[in-house]
Amino acid sequence: MRVEVSGLTKSFGPVRAVSDLSFTVEPGSVTGFLGPNGAGKTTTLRMVLGLERPDAGTATFDGATYRSLRQPVRTVGAVLETAFHPARSGRDHLRVYCRAASLPVSRADDALAQVGLSDAGRRKAGGYSLGMRQRLALATALLGNPSVLVLDEPANGLDPEGIHWLRGFLRHLAHDQGRTVLVSSHLLSEMEQTADRVVIVGAGRLVREGSIAELRAGAAGASTVLVRSPDSGRLAEMLRTEGHETTEHADGLLSVAAATPAAVGSRAFAAGIELHELRAETSGLEELYFHLTAGQEQFAATDEDTVMTAEAGR
Amino acid sequence: MTALVRAEWTKLFTTRVWLGLLLGACLLVTGFAVLFTTFAGNPEAGLPPVGTAAYEQVALATASQVVVLFLILGVIGMTQEYRHRTATPTFLTTPTRGRVVAAKLVGYALAAVPFAVVVLAVNVAVVTVHAGARGAAPTLSGDNLRVLVTSGLALVVYAVIGVGLGALLRSQVGAIVGGLVYLYVVEPIIRSIPVTAPAYKWLPGGGLEALTATLQAENLDLLAPWQGGLLLLGYGLVAALLGTLLAVRRDVV
Repeated sequence: MRVEVSGLTKSFGPVRAVSDLSFTVEPGSVTGFLGPNGAGKTTTLRMVLGLERPDAGTATFDGATYRSLRQPVRTVGAVLETAFHPARSGRDHLRVYCRAASLPVSRADDALAQVGLSDAGRRKAGGYSLGMRQRLALATALLGNPSVLVLDEPANGLDPEGIHWLRGFLRHLAHDQGRTVLVSSHLLSEMEQTADRVVIVGAGRLVREGSIAELRAGAAGASTVLVRSPDSGRLAEMLRTEGHETTEHADGLLSVAAATPAAVGSRAFAAGIELHELRAETSGLEELYFHLTAGQEQFAATDEDTVMTAEAGR
Repeated sequence: MTALVRAEWTKLFTTRVWLGLLLGACLLVTGFAVLFTTFAGNPEAGLPPVGTAAYEQVALATASQVVVLFLILGVIGMTQEYRHRTATPTFLTTPTRGRVVAAKLVGYALAAVPFAVVVLAVNVAVVTVHAGARGAAPTLSGDNLRVLVTSGLALVVYAVIGVGLGALLRSQVGAIVGGLVYLYVVEPIIRSIPVTAPAYKWLPGGGLEALTATLQAENLDLLAPWQGGLLLLGYGLVAALLGTLLAVRRDVV
């Protein structure tokens, strides 16, 4: 099932949270919905799920809006909040929604097992750790065995093992079972290893949409290089004359903007400068993400420029 | 709709709120019944003596004194969705929010019936034993039975009003405090000021007094019992309808 977001717009008073946002989510893949905190991700997902009314635009599941789906939880499973009635057990929480959706209550136990929460199912949700709450929220989304999953920051509060598990679980749901998975995050590193495609938003606007591989290719060469040399003064001067911006750090490390380790290494070798350390400070992709989404107010003011930069990097 | 009502019952019976409120209602009814019987015939208390029809009706209408607990039951049933933020999964499962409110109205009305029966049973048991010890246990027939049944009905209707009030206000504390202040401060004032007193019979308190009218209420200007009952039910349903239109449909933030 294909999710199509088209021209979504939503303002809260004078603040425009989401602005003419369009993207699609394809079945059989994990799509990362990336953006810094406050970029409008949650608002977008809530509009997609019919919890908030957009000022303009639509979000559809194979052409139907969420509210018009006959049995929504059998089509779309969603994790938006990890809040539960503290006095109700996780299993009872799930049974409530089995009843409301006319699903057999045995689905509650199935879903608990799927997320590895069977042992804690009869305990009160108020005593759950953040990671257990995330798992219970995920179990709620899985009750109806939906073909689409929409998850808002599901990795928040998970320990490293939980994140590893979630990554594998989402990929399994998408790749092996052919479901459509849309998962939001503010961390690129998390998505780099989970998502096949990413949709990047900043200040409520789409800044980039594409596969991780496409983005990585577009981002090559945009990295900052860190280099350490006993002769760093000469190296810095040489790089500067070639148009690189360099910054000398207190510990003798030199950072070179917009370069690749290979280029810096080859220049140093040609000039006979000894190097003790040479590495990229950030991956090109991370740099690109940071660049695309940094300083939202500023971004909002000059978004034409940024979109052009993003286009240029493509 | 059956599925949604059953979901509401699952919500209700998987926490202990109902048990606390039911026990509280039973304790309060016991307390009131004992008080009424102890001071029956005491001229300073103004209560008719044991054995008179007037006493028996007051003693068997004790349940109407604890309607506030059923109001709170309904309020919690609605507002817990917002308080514990379960409104999100609830409305994801049932995007037509009016159906959720309707299911709560039906679910709580039906759940309140056995609760009310328990409260009435406690009331009858206490009065039978205590008044029996003081000379004459009331019989459950005629006006005695009518007062008993209408008091039970009042409990059920107040649970419905609670759901409606909760839907309108969304805030649990606000709805409970607002309900208490209204019932125990605002209405008594309206009732006692001559200018506003004629309006009292159209208010929830007036409806309750009319529904559960005993011989003592004869000198008050009230509606007929069935009119009072309908008026109360109307308040609950109008609050629920307004709540659905104005509050529940608003974005859950």
